[in-house]
Amino acid sequence: MKRLSRYSLLFVLALCIGLGTSYIIETKADAKQKKSKSSKTALPILDPNDPNSIIYGGTDGQIKGKGDPDKPASESVRIGMGWHPQALSDQRLPKDRYGLIDWAELVRKKMILPKHSLDPNEEEMPPLDMNVVIEAKSDFVNDVVYPHWIHTYWLKCEVCHPKIFVPQKGGNPKMSMAGITQGEWCGRCHGKVAFPLTDCMRCHVKPKSAKK
Amino acid sequence: MVMTIKARPSLLLLILAAVFLAAPSYAKPKLGNIQFERKSTSRERAGIGPATFPHDSHEATLECKECHPKIFKAKRGANDITMKKNMEGKYCGSPGCHNTNAFPLYECAKCHTKVRGIK
Repeated sequence: MKRLSRYSLLFVLALCIGLGTSYIIETKADAKQKKSKSSKTALPILDPNDPNSIIYGGTDGQIKGKGDPDKPASESVRIGMGWHPQALSDQRLPKDRYGLIDWAELVRKKMILPKHSLDPNEEEMPPLDMNVVIEAKSDFVNDVVYPHWIHTYWLKCEVCHPKIFVPQKGGNPKMSMAGITQGEWCGRCHGKVAFPLTDCMRCHVKPKSAKK
Repeated sequence: MVMTIKARPSLLLLILAAVFLAAPSYAKPKLGNIQFERKSTSRERAGIGPATFPHDSHEATLECKECHPKIFKAKRGANDITMKKNMEGKYCGSPGCHNTNAFPLYECAKCHTKVRGIK
């Protein structure tokens, strides 16, 4: 009996040692993996001026190919043609206060440089740098400063003029927030393809001079 | 001695029951609708009627302390509410309220009456 108990004790001790060492090895391996993962997550930011800028093909954040314009389109480019919201959200793109991608800020920071036309012979029309102050009807709400610049960066004049907006000072007397929320005026695009109307302070920026 | 020990739990139970019965009526004052009639000149110019605040429906989902007294002073006429302040994230537009979790501020006719251009 005494021998048996000794053997059992030894067995238990050996088990403990074995388990302990395997645990230590596992934790070390984990630490190594974590280190390699953290080094992988530090990825360079996309630069439109650099032809070697890395393209991320998948939603897993792994590098799938390089954007060399002289070489034929790789598989990564073909995959990249699809819509990858998750990959987009991982690209450290500027966000507005509702967590949506701030495309205007993207243009201002020159993070993207879209071609103005598919036809190389078509002349580019530079954006029109002209702000229009639209007075809010209420005495308290800030006036709107409408920037032509960012709108003409994306769109041609004919998209809005003269069908949606009469291009004249005071030419749109019926414009109202009520109409905009029902899909007229700015509501033709904002809340659909452009940033939503919930972001009031993005347009209502000019405080009213002290009135009652 | 035995009698008093036996009587105490029943007394406690009675008090607890009374508290539980009284609690709901204490938590919900049921103030009904509150109408904001101020700033009429500005509202008339903008073509918007007064806003109606349904206190009852807010009581149904919120605790009193979630709004009072931090966001709204619990006194009639003590809060100078304007749409500008709402848009800046105060009063109705406070974080987690309208424009974030509850319906957006641009749905004018959900609070205001007689909004020009909305049937």
